[in-house]
Amino acid sequence: MARMSTAASQPHSDWAIDLTHITKVYAGGFRKPGVHALRGIDMRVRRGEVFGLLGPNGAGKSTLVKILMTVIRPTRAEGTMLGHPVGHKATLAKVGYLPEHHRFPEYLTGAQVVDFYAAMCGMPRTERRKRTPALLELVGMKDWAHTKVRGYSKGMRQRVGIAQALAADPQLVVLDEPTDGVDPVGRRDIREVLTRIKDEGRTVFLNSHLLSELEMLCDRVAILVQGTVASQGTIDELTLDQQRYEIEVDGGKDADDPHRAIRGALPEVANAAALQDGSVSPGHSSGNSLATRIAWSGALPTGEKFALTRHGITIGSPDATVVQPIIDRLRAKGVTIVSVRPFRPSLEDLFMQAVTDPNTGKAVAPGARKD
Amino acid sequence: MTQTLALLLDAYRELNSKKLFWFTLAISCIIALAFAAIGIDQKGLSLLWWNIGDFGGFVNSDVIPKDQFYKTIFSNFGVSFWLGWLATILALVSTSGMIPDFIAGGAVELTLSKPVSRVRLFLTKWSVGLLFVGLQVAAFSLACFLVIGIRGGSWTPRVFLAIPIVLLFFSYLYSVQALLGLLTRSTIASLLLTLLFWLFLFLLNMADVIVLNGRETNVVKRESLVAKVERLETSTSKRLKETALKAAQAKARETAQAGGKTIEQAELDAITVPEPTKEEIAAASTSVREAKEAIVDGDAAKPKWDLACRAVVTSKTIFPKTSETTALLDRYLVKTLDIPTPEEKEDENVQAIRRQLSAADQRKVQKRMEELLRGRTESWIIGTSVLFECLVLGGACWIFSRRDF
Repeated sequence: MARMSTAASQPHSDWAIDLTHITKVYAGGFRKPGVHALRGIDMRVRRGEVFGLLGPNGAGKSTLVKILMTVIRPTRAEGTMLGHPVGHKATLAKVGYLPEHHRFPEYLTGAQVVDFYAAMCGMPRTERRKRTPALLELVGMKDWAHTKVRGYSKGMRQRVGIAQALAADPQLVVLDEPTDGVDPVGRRDIREVLTRIKDEGRTVFLNSHLLSELEMLCDRVAILVQGTVASQGTIDELTLDQQRYEIEVDGGKDADDPHRAIRGALPEVANAAALQDGSVSPGHSSGNSLATRIAWSGALPTGEKFALTRHGITIGSPDATVVQPIIDRLRAKGVTIVSVRPFRPSLEDLFMQAVTDPNTGKAVAPGARKD
Repeated sequence: MTQTLALLLDAYRELNSKKLFWFTLAISCIIALAFAAIGIDQKGLSLLWWNIGDFGGFVNSDVIPKDQFYKTIFSNFGVSFWLGWLATILALVSTSGMIPDFIAGGAVELTLSKPVSRVRLFLTKWSVGLLFVGLQVAAFSLACFLVIGIRGGSWTPRVFLAIPIVLLFFSYLYSVQALLGLLTRSTIASLLLTLLFWLFLFLLNMADVIVLNGRETNVVKRESLVAKVERLETSTSKRLKETALKAAQAKARETAQAGGKTIEQAELDAITVPEPTKEEIAAASTSVREAKEAIVDGDAAKPKWDLACRAVVTSKTIFPKTSETTALLDRYLVKTLDIPTPEEKEDENVQAIRRQLSAADQRKVQKRMEELLRGRTESWIIGTSVLFECLVLGGACWIFSRRDF
């Protein structure tokens, strides 16, 4: 069941992309079942935000993007893009697109590529002449503007690809793996470009495997698994119920058993069992934190859930003020606080949760289901 | 309009990047120069400053007017051979990759994501493929126009009819190549299959010529046999009558001698004999009998030839007529019958049929063939071919519009 963020209540005009029931079934052959690439996608992207689409291989990300760009015909599609029905050709003049495995004509120079695709969007020549050098400068390709594409490296092609996506001054930019094959310096440059695009008020729809980059760039994300939206929203919204504070204590004279010190300071947790290894859901978090899903030991009188961990106690709240009285009570009983760490699951944690079968605890098989 | 211009400019850049385009254009220029180097005057043919001779008085400006000479070379060699064969093969090779490259993964997504309908995209891409041939033919025609004007002394704008005619001819093949490129996504496969299709059209055209020749030979042969039978019957009848008269006169003379009488010459002259019957004539002449049998055989074969002709013409109606289309230029440009056309190398089957006839009958068959072929209307030749092309292109557009890339 896909989780929708509170943004679902936004008025229609705020959406750059508003999709419902996007379905795509690839017809099967003789004795071959059809492939359900998309199974009723509901997705919304606000105007002016950077939206990340992620999912394992074969989840249907590229199919969804191609349906938006009219490269693939949907089996069923309702919804709008920039206020017009999906598939409306004229709207595409306001949409920039960089496909995943793009291949520009080898006989064109970088400047000609940008100019050609801007012209294909119907942009007048005078405007193209102004924009092309500026865009190539933006992506760091000014010095290579008049070199044929056949002489470009993968990273340079990606840069030119981003420039051509921006060529027709689009309101929405759809980028499929924009940092694919780009070195770390190039990735940083592309991130900066995307930030600038966002600052200019354009909507960016990013499809990428690089979760760390999406986490840095995206306002909202959607995770696609086997043709359905497993979850979507801001990272904060998606991790809200998993954010917590981890308090590590030194037991002092009861150094070998920090739980005894905690139980002494907090009588309401006296009867709670300590968190056992393996009582967390699959997946892992960055740093020293526990895994994202935690088996709570109980609830405090104030309502927050808690769990006794190996080195202390975890309080299930993203609110720092909730933790302060607990720290005070622990300190009052002479318990030494070693550290207090806020914990928020990373995008990778969310991704792993989404692609993990809760019954088997294993990641779902790559590719679309064939039933 | 901006998008169409962008596609045209892109097509120009693509053609410009292909070496084969310039290679073909260079050969066209060389051929035009060679064309200009050939001269004809009262002494015969010349190449630059060297006189080649008049081939037994057959080739000189008295027999063939200068302008007709250059027009004939332009039509029969420049268009039919160079543009209609070699340059077309080079053009097919050059353009064979256009559609497969256009729909290749990574390239087509970007183009399809632009605000241009798929049908317009496909047709524009297809049309710009014709630019290859258009530019080649235009350059060649211009050069030949100048040669015919300067060397032949006749400024004939009709030479430029080669541009639409060759473009039309090429478009038949290019539409098939575009469809095959779309279906197979392979440059090599689309090229080879198109060449096979062209070979099929060539064979169909050859079958048409053979069958038509066979039918007309049969008709002319029958006419000839009927005349021969009449001639033989007359001569045989005369011979039989003379023989019978001589026999009757000899008998009368014997009868008179037996009676001891003498018979007068006047009496002998008064003897008449009946006209020989057809059976008697047939029995007396093997040639008449054989000729009549041949007529019967010819009559029996006539429905078969007619059926074969109808079958071939029906097949040709469905498919594009490449040979007839290029031959249209000859029809428009060169005055027929004014020029003694050189003996064309014919198919062995045609030659075998022709061998049964006398030289006069062969010429008669050839003339009837020419009349029949020239009698085929432009609307049939072009109309049905364009209809085929439209169907192929329509199918290709439909596939392109519905395909997921």
